[in-house]
Amino acid sequence: MAIASPTLPSLNDVTEKDPFNNNCYGTLVDRPYKPVQLPVLDVNDFNERIIRGYEEGYAENELPADLSLARSLIPAGTASLRDFSYIAPEIPKYLPENCTGCMDCVTECPDTAILGKVLGEDEWEQKLADVPEADREMFKAQWSRTKKYYEGGKKKAGGVGGVFNIIIDPTKCKGCAECVTVCDDNALKMIAKSDEVMTDIRKSHRHFKNMGPSNEKYISGNLLIDMMLKESTHIYTGGAGSCAGCGEGTALRMMCAAVGSKHGEDWGIVAATGCNTVYTSTYPYNPYLVPWTNSLFENAPTYAIGVRMKWDQMGWNKKPLWVIGGDGAMYDIGFQALSRMFLSGMNIKVLVLDTQVYSNTGGQASTASFTGQNTKMSVHGKTVFGKQERRKEIAQIAMMHPHVYVAQTTAAHINHFYKAILGAMEYDGPALVACYTTCQPEHGVADNMAGEQARLAVDTRAFPLVIHDPRAGDTLKKRVSLMGNPNMKGDWFVNPKTNQEVTFIDFARSEGRFTKHFDKDGNPSETMLYAKQDRLENWHLLQELAGLR
Amino acid sequence: MSTPIATHAFTELPAALEFLKRTRWELRLLRRVHIYVDRIRIIDVNGDYFELHNVGYPDAPAVELLRGVNTAFDPLTLADPVDGEYKEFFTGRCVAWAADRLM
Repeated sequence: MAIASPTLPSLNDVTEKDPFNNNCYGTLVDRPYKPVQLPVLDVNDFNERIIRGYEEGYAENELPADLSLARSLIPAGTASLRDFSYIAPEIPKYLPENCTGCMDCVTECPDTAILGKVLGEDEWEQKLADVPEADREMFKAQWSRTKKYYEGGKKKAGGVGGVFNIIIDPTKCKGCAECVTVCDDNALKMIAKSDEVMTDIRKSHRHFKNMGPSNEKYISGNLLIDMMLKESTHIYTGGAGSCAGCGEGTALRMMCAAVGSKHGEDWGIVAATGCNTVYTSTYPYNPYLVPWTNSLFENAPTYAIGVRMKWDQMGWNKKPLWVIGGDGAMYDIGFQALSRMFLSGMNIKVLVLDTQVYSNTGGQASTASFTGQNTKMSVHGKTVFGKQERRKEIAQIAMMHPHVYVAQTTAAHINHFYKAILGAMEYDGPALVACYTTCQPEHGVADNMAGEQARLAVDTRAFPLVIHDPRAGDTLKKRVSLMGNPNMKGDWFVNPKTNQEVTFIDFARSEGRFTKHFDKDGNPSETMLYAKQDRLENWHLLQELAGLR
Repeated sequence: MSTPIATHAFTELPAALEFLKRTRWELRLLRRVHIYVDRIRIIDVNGDYFELHNVGYPDAPAVELLRGVNTAFDPLTLADPVDGEYKEFFTGRCVAWAADRLM
């Protein structure tokens, strides 16, 4: 039987298997395990004995049944200790000479595996002196003097420019290439892993963490995109078990960053069973640094009512409480609980990860699935041509409940997403943020396409951006905003390069879930044309609500 | 992105499809296709590409060539003229239900 040994080095320190201590707590800087004051959970024992068993591969055969499993308890942030460095053949390489410091790659990574840091040039030079001489030039060459932080920084910081670095955490990257795809500046490219490449990346990641936190003088409070330069926003650590490129992962960590930027780790999450609970609580790995709980598929919003009531009794009225669920949990099986929660008027916020399919159970239709979608409950065949019903619109339904803040957004629309989360937080009452998220395997798109497909979903009216803010006025026209959608007053977006309308048909052509609706000549099926009309009618309704029609 | 990794001068469709099949593995995740009047450029996530010459969007074989790299495009309008230098399409569509991901 394996037991925690006082002679073994801590998993949070250098070990034989992890010689540069890449696999450890803390995202931008090192941090200790996060203790809890619970007599039933010994964080140190859990991390050193149980996590070690799983990381070294003997847990299943050698670890005894333990009380923490029986109690369904996992300490915060244990996913930090998970090593994914062996799962992908490729890893991104940073090209500092091309970087503008836009932070898109850092923001859009689903795995907290690409990290940014900015330091004043003077302090940077001092800290470089602490880097071993053999690695110093290699590491120094990875920093860039961008216009944003170097030239702009000189104005803010008494003439000293900020030097900027992007680094890959080799233990968390799954090789999806989303970061390379969202980079407009050719500052990242995928390269093959080799022993030499991985050693350099491991060393660089270690030196990056040793450099300490970013200098906040160079972080603009007005730029939401810069929030991930602060350690306090990395509430969702790398090491979750989601698929490579998962669109949900990006949405979750951006939501956590936005809430963390205001409340640090002083808030909590109630999660509805679904993909999100599977990959964030696959025993013994937990990526969250805030309290998190999961009961059932259908009851997360009402479970949250109970948590909220208790927290309020304890005087924790200002502590944010978020509910997370997929479209299956919120549109379908937990829909009544969600509606009930809205009517409670309680200060509870909901993030819906809308993949339009039951991703976790293998691709069944939900009421959020698009018309025509080929799913396992609406298989496209000779008599039934994919899903025949229309899609339910959770945003419109939510905004018809009294005094509910509603947003419909995507993680690819970074400012819109952050404003939606912060708007929901500022609103003193229930709020719903519905987020379009890809499910790469079920949608039939490549691992690097979460952002591109989300943008296409908005451009083709498949999933329009919406904000409904009850504070904005006494009419729907004042409360509903469609800002951020292309051609807000027209029917379809027109591509300026081709002068052609971009419609739902174009979206459908780009995803495997609609492939069977196109004949050998490329003609769309009748169902697809019906789906296109459905999306247009939904857009018209939104235009009407926003006073644009 | 100045030099293609591989080029092929189009003469007949089977040879061009064979070229795509063979050279596909020299690129990483495919990202987009630029199709000009007289050539097709297939670009991966790093911006590396290969190029087919003597065939472009006005030509009938272009439909099969774009299908060969899973491009999202409308065959009915592919040959229509365009104001710009080229037409751009995304690639990356896969098989749904993870059917192409089974180990």
